[in-house]
Amino acid sequence: MADVEETLKRIEGHKGVIGTIIVNSEGLPIRTTLDNSTTSLYARLLRSFTTLARSAVRDVDPQNDLTFVRIRSKKQEILVAPENNYLLVVIQNPSE
Amino acid sequence: MFADEDLDSVSVESVWRKSQQGAQESVRVKRSATADAHLVLFCVTRFWFCLFQRACQTPAVTTEHAGVQTGSKTSRFTQTEPQEQMDPKRVFSGSGSDPPGLVDFLRRVEELLIRELEKNSRSHAFDGFRANWEERSQQVSHLHRLEHPGAQEQGLHVTAVSWSCTGSVIACAYGRTDDGDWTNQKSCVCLWNLDRRGLRPKQPDLVLDVPAAVTAVCCHPERPALIAGGLYNGEVVVWDTSRTQDPVLAQTGMSADSHREPVYQVFWVPLEKKGEFGVLSSSSGGRVLLWTVDPDQGRMVLVAAYAFVQQQVPHSSRLKARGGSTVGVTATALSPWDPDTFLVGSEGGLLLRCSFSSQTPAAVTSEGRSVTPRAPAVFSFRPSGGPVHSIHCSPFHRNLFASAGTDGLVQVRSLLQADPLLSVRVSDSYVFQVQWSPSRPLVFAAATGRGEVQIFDLARKSLRPAGTIQDGAPGRTATCLAFNSQNHRLLAAGRSDGSVGIWRLSSELMEQRPSESLQLEQIANQVAE
Repeated sequence: MADVEETLKRIEGHKGVIGTIIVNSEGLPIRTTLDNSTTSLYARLLRSFTTLARSAVRDVDPQNDLTFVRIRSKKQEILVAPENNYLLVVIQNPSE
Repeated sequence: MFADEDLDSVSVESVWRKSQQGAQESVRVKRSATADAHLVLFCVTRFWFCLFQRACQTPAVTTEHAGVQTGSKTSRFTQTEPQEQMDPKRVFSGSGSDPPGLVDFLRRVEELLIRELEKNSRSHAFDGFRANWEERSQQVSHLHRLEHPGAQEQGLHVTAVSWSCTGSVIACAYGRTDDGDWTNQKSCVCLWNLDRRGLRPKQPDLVLDVPAAVTAVCCHPERPALIAGGLYNGEVVVWDTSRTQDPVLAQTGMSADSHREPVYQVFWVPLEKKGEFGVLSSSSGGRVLLWTVDPDQGRMVLVAAYAFVQQQVPHSSRLKARGGSTVGVTATALSPWDPDTFLVGSEGGLLLRCSFSSQTPAAVTSEGRSVTPRAPAVFSFRPSGGPVHSIHCSPFHRNLFASAGTDGLVQVRSLLQADPLLSVRVSDSYVFQVQWSPSRPLVFAAATGRGEVQIFDLARKSLRPAGTIQDGAPGRTATCLAFNSQNHRLLAAGRSDGSVGIWRLSSELMEQRPSESLQLEQIANQVAE
């Protein structure tokens, strides 16, 4: 458990990071540094988005697979490291 | 109904022999035999009123017994399991045991993620890049010019405009802005629905006749049919446009509680009970009153009263008090961030921060009023050079607000400091209204006495306006303006020639840039020298 906390602290300490969320395979958040409503919104939306992205990559080339997702918006960037079981979502404000 | 009648005699054939023979016959035949006998009996008794006895007999009823047996049996039970409420709070507890594989997962992705985060913070790849989602327009364009010929004939000015909560209806109040005397002139409030296909700019969709000049109007933030208005004679009226008979839902009337001077601003404020709204009205008689609407009786009930008296206004040593003993309130603003704070500007140039929950009683005689007035002033800002016509709190920063008055300046101030942070010279003449843009934190618009609406962008380094809206002949003052909070492209500006212009803003003035909030924060944190 200590490893998990340490790792998350290292990630959150990076420049511009606004928040971190870990989502499980059902789209439920397990760990978060943001408030509840924002977290559940991000978790639900990004889980389905990542699945869609993964199927897009694999449909084009079945040997290929999704490694990372970055969504850049006007105000921030959302980085998602996907896996079958978990998703690690980091929201960063790159211009700070 | 009962009459003597002579009928032919009825002969009944004997049927019981026949029925005995028909023992094997079908049920139908058996039934008809007995039915016949019964029918005859019935008819006879009906017309003759005497009991006529007949004997009849049915054949023996045959019965049979048969048994059925099932070959094999199976039994099944079903039961639903109680559904576990996905309690989000439980999920975030964090302290319990980690799901399996979490540590390994984090170890695998950590390096990748940190690399990406660092690259991001150093990257210049997206500097200045903006995606083009909507058609961008370079200029501010004029959409409509709404006029009410009836009001224009009387020479009425547009005194206030307000968009409805849906963003499609605009309510325009007519009155006069240059008269100092009591008038008995009737005026009106006109409504146009801009989303209707058959929009006629010279004919309002709805005209509400009002017995006095209207000085303020405000649409309800949740129910599109309710409009609150303040009149020149001190009354506050609430109209319900969904009622066809008499749109006046409630009014204060001329009671001891109501204002005696023109009501310059009305607002809908949320009350403690969620979903209910009350009307806050402020007048130049130095009073700010909070009413609730009682629709059954058609009147407005006073809930709280605040009175401003010169002696009770907090002073700092540098500020000199001007004017008579009452502080005539000409401008009010509510803070969207703090429901307890409101700002008040006076005829003498005073700007005060007030609190709804203040308990100190005001030093006025309560002449038969139902609610004792309180003195709400908490903090006094450095006064401006003339009467304050308009105050507006920034929807993007909790401490910023803009104030405008007759000195031609718009001052951007902070709630925490007495001195203004920025003074922007908008025009040479009076500024009647200032409002922050609902979509860009650094933009505000001001309606000036020269007839122009100047739009300023604080992100630009220059002192010149980012946009100027000039409608028609110069020399007509622009008396009021309102941004549409639903459709951020639209701006309505009312003028003293009785027309209201609807303008569509350019994309530049409407879309938020990435670092605007930061710049606003920097402006707010400046300390005035």
